[in-house]
Amino acid sequence: MKAKKLAELAMLTAVALIIFIVELQFPNLTPIQGVKLGLANIITVYAVYKYTAKEVFLIVVTRVILGALFSSHISVILYSMAGAMTCLAGMLLLKRAIPLKYLWLCSILGAVLHNTGQTVMAVILMRSVAAAANYPILIVTGCIAGLFTGICAQTVLKRDPRNAEKS
Amino acid sequence: MSKDVKICLAVVIVLFVVSVVLSIIILRPTDKTMVEIVQDNHVLYTLDLGREKDRSFRIEYPDGGWNEITIKDGQISVTDADCPDKTCVKTGVLRSETIPIVCLPHKLIIRFCDDGGSQ
Repeated sequence: MKAKKLAELAMLTAVALIIFIVELQFPNLTPIQGVKLGLANIITVYAVYKYTAKEVFLIVVTRVILGALFSSHISVILYSMAGAMTCLAGMLLLKRAIPLKYLWLCSILGAVLHNTGQTVMAVILMRSVAAAANYPILIVTGCIAGLFTGICAQTVLKRDPRNAEKS
Repeated sequence: MSKDVKICLAVVIVLFVVSVVLSIIILRPTDKTMVEIVQDNHVLYTLDLGREKDRSFRIEYPDGGWNEITIKDGQISVTDADCPDKTCVKTGVLRSETIPIVCLPHKLIIRFCDDGGSQ
């Protein structure tokens, strides 16, 4: 990997981490577990459309591990990892079908997949289907949050002059 | 707009509408009063909130950790815990039949149950 590419990826990871930690300081909007804006996913969506699968994978894994360490929520790393991986796999596949112009759509589906991954992990870990009770609510909020992060990422990608000729 | 995008858009819209309907059903308050407290898939207590007096008690987790549970005016909630995220505390009082109070680190679930096994 070239030094320049490495620096770019490292910077994106740092930005994602900062967004993640700032978002932790926001008060919870709802008491329902798992509902959050997921602003750090702006970086994930951005990277999915700009870098190769391997590079995005590196960013996301680093972000999840370091995020868990920094936020002292290490016990929930399995949930974040399950969510992040399903989301990433889904978005990498969807990228082929969905052009940059409809990136927000890819982001919504990514958010829904993220919540799906977390719910499945919760069901497995707690050995109880009760953990999936608020799944429909997570999909609703996931759609809204995914739309928002998607639009943010799309705006950033559009503003980057290096992508102007591609879109 | 290509065919693939249209399919994805349709999937998202259907998912969203179905989830909104399901969410409304889930969030309806219940008229049940029987509550069970489950830890690691074992029922620890079964309580009838209609008859319980106001009180607080602590549930210890075998691997370390505790949740402080409070019953007040026929409503149950986790008022304190030593877990890092405190999601169970933030959940507030138990209202819905489908959304339990959950403490993932301590594998604790508080939920409404049927009258059948009343003690």
